[in-house]
Amino acid sequence: MSASFAFPPSFRRSVITIVVTAAVFAFAPLVAGSFALHVLTISFYFVILAASWNLLAGYTGQFSLAHHAFAAIGAYTSGLLGYHYGVPAWIGIPSGVVMAALFGVILGRLVLRMRAIYLAIATWAFAETVHIYLTADYQFTRGELGLSVKPLYGSVDPLPYYFTFLALTVLVLIGLRALIDSPIGYFMRAIKDDELRAKSLGIDTTRVKIAVFSISSAIAGLAGAFYGHFIVLLSPQMIDFSEMAKIVIMVVIGGFGTFLGPVIGAAPVQMVMTYLQKYGEWNLAIFALIVIVLMRFSMEGLASLFTPLWRNLWARHDA
Amino acid sequence: MPLALETIRLVKRFGGLLAANDVSLAVEHGEIRGLIGPNGAGKTTLVNLVTGVHPPDMGDVKLGGQSLRGCAMHEIARLGLVRSFQVTRLFGNMTVSENLMTSFFARRNRATGDGTKQIGNMLELTRLGPLADTQAKKLSGGQRALLQMACGFMVPGSCYVLDEPFAGINPVIKDAIIDMIVDVNRRHGATFLVVSHEMAIVRRLCRQVTVMMEGRVAAQGTLDEVARLPEVIAGYLGKALE
Repeated sequence: MSASFAFPPSFRRSVITIVVTAAVFAFAPLVAGSFALHVLTISFYFVILAASWNLLAGYTGQFSLAHHAFAAIGAYTSGLLGYHYGVPAWIGIPSGVVMAALFGVILGRLVLRMRAIYLAIATWAFAETVHIYLTADYQFTRGELGLSVKPLYGSVDPLPYYFTFLALTVLVLIGLRALIDSPIGYFMRAIKDDELRAKSLGIDTTRVKIAVFSISSAIAGLAGAFYGHFIVLLSPQMIDFSEMAKIVIMVVIGGFGTFLGPVIGAAPVQMVMTYLQKYGEWNLAIFALIVIVLMRFSMEGLASLFTPLWRNLWARHDA
Repeated sequence: MPLALETIRLVKRFGGLLAANDVSLAVEHGEIRGLIGPNGAGKTTLVNLVTGVHPPDMGDVKLGGQSLRGCAMHEIARLGLVRSFQVTRLFGNMTVSENLMTSFFARRNRATGDGTKQIGNMLELTRLGPLADTQAKKLSGGQRALLQMACGFMVPGSCYVLDEPFAGINPVIKDAIIDMIVDVNRRHGATFLVVSHEMAIVRRLCRQVTVMMEGRVAAQGTLDEVARLPEVIAGYLGKALE
């Protein structure tokens, strides 16, 4: 795999679009109030989770239901290191990423030969195990009492956190785009379409699948670790199944298996859910209904509306 | 010089069915060998044993003298043994270009050069250029077969095992596929094992054919020689070949 490789022109275009969009969002604090910034920050957190889950489920075809657990592993690793041993965030966060990646490799290996629903059930069982552990071992994890985590910055003013998560989102999205446009990205999509053929062409599908599982888990761990230092109080609620359902809803509404999908799906869903919170679990049920309808009729979700726009935008460059 | 492809006393049993019964086959470097036989004779099983889809119960496969025992499918492919599937398999949601690129990335090495340029060559050769950005699942049967073949030639292999590359395809595309096989055979000295029912094409391409029946090698020789053997005629239900 040492032969030279050049990114397609579409890669540069994606990077430009991501950076320009982020630049627009950098002005949001001028118009948005404190609470709105808080909601946007959480939306960025979910953009990262949704995009990294989409890498695994949408591109590679491994429909994992443990993604929220990896975010929690990242968050709790950094949180517990800080709480018990006084470890600072700049060591805690990378440790959280490494821990999530390690669990990702292990779980990825275990579910390697499982397909569709079997993989979903096995990964869900893993998430439940983590959930139960965090609740049960309350002397160490503080369980339902909640684990208090030191804020990343001196105060809990949302502004610096908003910019931190904005920057993190940009970095993760560019990284994911680079991965998707690289040979591994081709292999991922090949595995989703026809794994036997991928093998027959010479693709080490085992290696690719485990690599993708650990990369997407590491990204979830990264987002989770920062998230912990932002909301400053962790609880096993983070691995409630509704959190995973939310990620799936975001990706399917945005566009399953499209790059744009999770990016445009996450924020609206998070915002609507935040403002509809007074109706409790009912808003999840309504979104679930939307997902069922979308999965039946169009897997490309909102992203399909943008595809012609995207083509027109760059058409003159191709001419 | 070792043989390009050799199977040594391969045995494979599926439940009560003996799909490969002591199959020994030797294909020389640069040869285009035909593999014929009635339906259910074990041709596809042999292809699957050679390419690592199924491990044999007994026996061994050698590629250029090297044993493939214990090799995973992708390792066999990276050693230069390329196959096509009887029921065309492509990455349906990927475009024609992306299918070609994936094949290129999968087996590329230091010597393979520029993938984009190679895609251009293949699109020209197959005349699939106007469909370069079309999803593979939207192609016609013949176009799919042509694309599958072109994918195999993105990085030249040393040995090709083609399972019914001409089945259900219009004559123009058949000729295009034949031209590609002959071209790769001449230019790169690649070896071919071609499973086919199309006797006219087998006669044109293959000096030697191997006949399989009921899991065994029943005969070997030129097509005209084997077509006269009583056992072969009987195997094809008394119908003379062609």
